[in-house]
Amino acid sequence: MTTHELEELLMRQPVSLLHRLARGRISRHFRSGKRKLVDLLLQASAENRPGLESDLQTLIDQHIQPPKPAPVEKTRPVPSPPREAVRATSRPHRTEEHGHHEPPVSLHEWLSGIGVPPPQPFVPDAWQVDALAKLAETDVVVSVPTGSGKTYVAIEATARAMRENRTVIYTSPLKALSNTKFTEFSRVFGPGQVGILTGDRREHAQAPLLIMTTEILRNLLYDAAGGEIDVRLDTLGLVIMDESQYLADPERGVVWEETLIFCPSQARLLLLSASIGNPQDIADWLTAIRPTPCSLIRHTKRSVPLRAGYLHPNEKLTPLFRTAGIPYGQPHLLHPEAKRLFMEYEEETGPSRSR
Amino acid sequence: MPPSIHPVDLVATLRQRNLTPAIIFLTSRRACDEAMQSFERSQVTLPKAQQEQIARVLSQVTEQFPSIAEHPLIETVQRIGVAAHHAGHLPSWKIAVEELMRTGSLDAVFATTTLAAGVDFPARTVVVTQSSIRKARDFTDLTASEIQQLAGRAGRRGKDLVGFAVITPSPYIDLTVLTKGLTGQPEAIHSQFVISYPMVLNLLKAHPREQIQSILAKSFAQFQLNQRTAVLETKLDGLRAEMEPFGPRVCSDWITQWQVFEQARKRKKPRSPFARQESPDVAARLHFLTPGRVVGLTRGRGIILRQYRSKGQHAPMVTLLREGGSLNECPASIVTQVFDRTFDCEETSAYPWCTPQTLDQLTHQLTDLPPRLPVLPILTHQHEEVPIDSSIIQTLGDFACPTCPSRQACQRDFPRASRVRQEIQRHIKSIQALQTSLWHRFQERIDVLERFGYLNANAQLTADGEWARLIRIDHSLLITELIRAEAFGAIDPPLLAAIMASIAHDDDRPGSFPRGSTGLVTLLFQVRKLAESLAPHEAPPMLRADVAALTERWVADQTLTWIGLARLTTMAEGDMFRLFARTIEFLSQLKTLKSTHPSLAESADHAIAAMRRGVLEELP
Ligand SMILES: Nc1ncnc2c1ncn2[C@@H]1O[C@H](COP(=O)(O)OP(=O)(O)OP(=O)(O)O)[C@@H](O)[C@H]1O
Ligand SMILES: [Mg+2]
Repeated sequence: MTTHELEELLMRQPVSLLHRLARGRISRHFRSGKRKLVDLLLQASAENRPGLESDLQTLIDQHIQPPKPAPVEKTRPVPSPPREAVRATSRPHRTEEHGHHEPPVSLHEWLSGIGVPPPQPFVPDAWQVDALAKLAETDVVVSVPTGSGKTYVAIEATARAMRENRTVIYTSPLKALSNTKFTEFSRVFGPGQVGILTGDRREHAQAPLLIMTTEILRNLLYDAAGGEIDVRLDTLGLVIMDESQYLADPERGVVWEETLIFCPSQARLLLLSASIGNPQDIADWLTAIRPTPCSLIRHTKRSVPLRAGYLHPNEKLTPLFRTAGIPYGQPHLLHPEAKRLFMEYEEETGPSRSR
Repeated sequence: MPPSIHPVDLVATLRQRNLTPAIIFLTSRRACDEAMQSFERSQVTLPKAQQEQIARVLSQVTEQFPSIAEHPLIETVQRIGVAAHHAGHLPSWKIAVEELMRTGSLDAVFATTTLAAGVDFPARTVVVTQSSIRKARDFTDLTASEIQQLAGRAGRRGKDLVGFAVITPSPYIDLTVLTKGLTGQPEAIHSQFVISYPMVLNLLKAHPREQIQSILAKSFAQFQLNQRTAVLETKLDGLRAEMEPFGPRVCSDWITQWQVFEQARKRKKPRSPFARQESPDVAARLHFLTPGRVVGLTRGRGIILRQYRSKGQHAPMVTLLREGGSLNECPASIVTQVFDRTFDCEETSAYPWCTPQTLDQLTHQLTDLPPRLPVLPILTHQHEEVPIDSSIIQTLGDFACPTCPSRQACQRDFPRASRVRQEIQRHIKSIQALQTSLWHRFQERIDVLERFGYLNANAQLTADGEWARLIRIDHSLLITELIRAEAFGAIDPPLLAAIMASIAHDDDRPGSFPRGSTGLVTLLFQVRKLAESLAPHEAPPMLRADVAALTERWVADQTLTWIGLARLTTMAEGDMFRLFARTIEFLSQLKTLKSTHPSLAESADHAIAAMRRGVLEELP
């Protein structure tokens, strides 16, 4: 291919494809429009022309011909290391194979059922009951989707510990969240029962339930280890760590590890986390380092079903997938209408944005 | 066609389809503010009843947080039922918006993705307009976990029968990233354990050095290293089994014997100049330069894609993916450090030696790497290969091999046996490195702390170490060194607060502020010099003069109001609030030094009291 031919071929591609091609070749390629991107790619091709051409070809092929639906196990993205990918997980799979032969869901069907459920008496979910039962015997890691009701478990566990005259520490990663929980828990347990410790402020520091950021707890534990007892750690019965997926935060994750390593052994641990890929590892780790074993409560089913849609800039709304629900493990099952509109979008916006 | 849907039309469509309340995630704070502005110009007005509900909720929140009453957007929010929520806002305003959302009073909120984590903020519908976010100054694709956290806010338990995640395109959206994220598994999490100076001091305060290794062994980091070790050990078992047929023969170590013999024989033949022996450093590292390994180079970092020998010289070479994304073939000696970090790398047999997906992923992983990575300790053996003693190779007659009965078997098996043996050694070394790397890093920190005099030669805390361990924040070494250099001698509260602010602030959003006092300028210059001299041991903070001056002014001028201060800078209120909150946190650590540094602690105490007024007093 001559440089000229390459340039023409590049110019014919949608911008998103060019961005994929630019990855690893051009830094900050997201900043450039189409013309600039093509120029930069041509410049970069000097370094490794055959590599660029073959990648381009692969991307074009993928673009024209989306991969055939393969068995779920194969098409699942494997961003995590092979170990985790191999380990069976409990993601609820679609109950039936949705091949291309089944008609895609209509917009009407997709939109049906919107509304407010009739008020129902509160009945805890099986996993919530299970988590509380396990917590009587073991430490517990809970990894469930956003909005499932982890707070209920935290509150019930706290109430139980308080009945046994034990103190409870609840940590969150963010001051903002600590403040929200302070208000919420004060409403539940009564204002005198809840304290909050931040950088240097302490309110009701002797209350049976203390809310703080994880850093503050880590510091308390270091002080206790160094001999300066600050808060009554001897009566500590329960430590709840909310949003504990922060363990993987590049800057602050280490604080979660320090806290868990030094958490007094007589206190129960309750880790609440959003869905993560390897919660069993966390439970296994805690089992390995603490006197009590650690149970894992995990499920991936959302309590309110989720549907995905595509809204075109011309205000046309369509389902995103062929199925009404999310087709777990099958990202390619796009709704034909969404696919068509998006391709149209890429074609139309691509070149016009370049100048 | 417009590159993306107009915010007013977007909300109108959602309303019409009964898809409100909705959270609309936009790429930047500015995009959120602009969306709000476009509503200010629009004709939309809410029905009276809804306007009144908003007013009611707002007045309730205002009771607790009076600063909300002054918010310029109140009127718009009330008229149109739409708000923005991002880190540029004051926490009190964000709480107000959250409360409005919780009570179902708003139809839509424009938010940045920082909202995804940990704020209790559900809606019926979530609108996603992007597939990447700005991280460390560049854009990276959202992970499956992040996408699910965003989408997961859709559908409120008890208030919705279904939730909706709606994607609407904007420039630079990559639909496959989103569809894969929505349908895929959340990623596994990995330990981010780093050993900081305060950690070392605090551990050594409570435990003798001998116990440290067993404490580090309790980390999640070590747990995950052990998982990797287990994988290597299984492989090692396999290799040992493969090695079994190659046990002792006529000579016990026939592999080495044959190797020496072969080398001697080749040396006899003048046509094969013996491959140049690489330096022991390079040789020791070679074992670790496997595909997927992150390495340090003389400039920047890279990921190994392949290791090979050059055609002519048989010099050890590597193919490297470098920062910026270029692929280079270079001598292995270019590698200056081997990091304790490897990524999955699906190898292929031709350029670029891995699958395009891997290359894609590695490129991203390389850009996303934290600035500092643990270095693998590599034990250099001065003599890796058995040197060939010239006396042995005087004549081939000295070797038994040519006439040995096992000769044919040796000749046949040697290539495979020696390869397996090398593999075994490589695995043993990797396992050793995995088992000792944390302790090694800890030891490095001990060395530095000892050099600076916080620890004595027995790794016990010195008098300085005793108080220094109470400073448990970022840049602790700089702060304790400043204290020891008496930079804070009889320092005024405004100056102290200003310096702490410039150390605490780690945001690179541009800001501007009138110059600080001469005292501040001089002191900041000294702090910068010290920070630079400490750079080999601790990454220097940004030490921005504008945030220092801003803080100095706030503390020194007690008549200045929050709004008055905000007018003097281009910083967003939310950023100012965070700066001050973090500064107060840093100052309160200095306050704990009461017994050893009373005047400093007192100055810190005064600074905190002076800082905490206006909106800073509202939140615990
Ligand atoms: N068993 C239940 N039945 C009905 N509603 C419930 C149940 N458990 C919790 N909820 C409701 O679900 C909503 C979400 O709960 P909660 O805030 O605890 O979720 P979460 O898991 O902490 O989510 P996040 O990941 O956002 O922190 C709340 O309004 C709560 O009242
Ligand atoms: Mg929660």
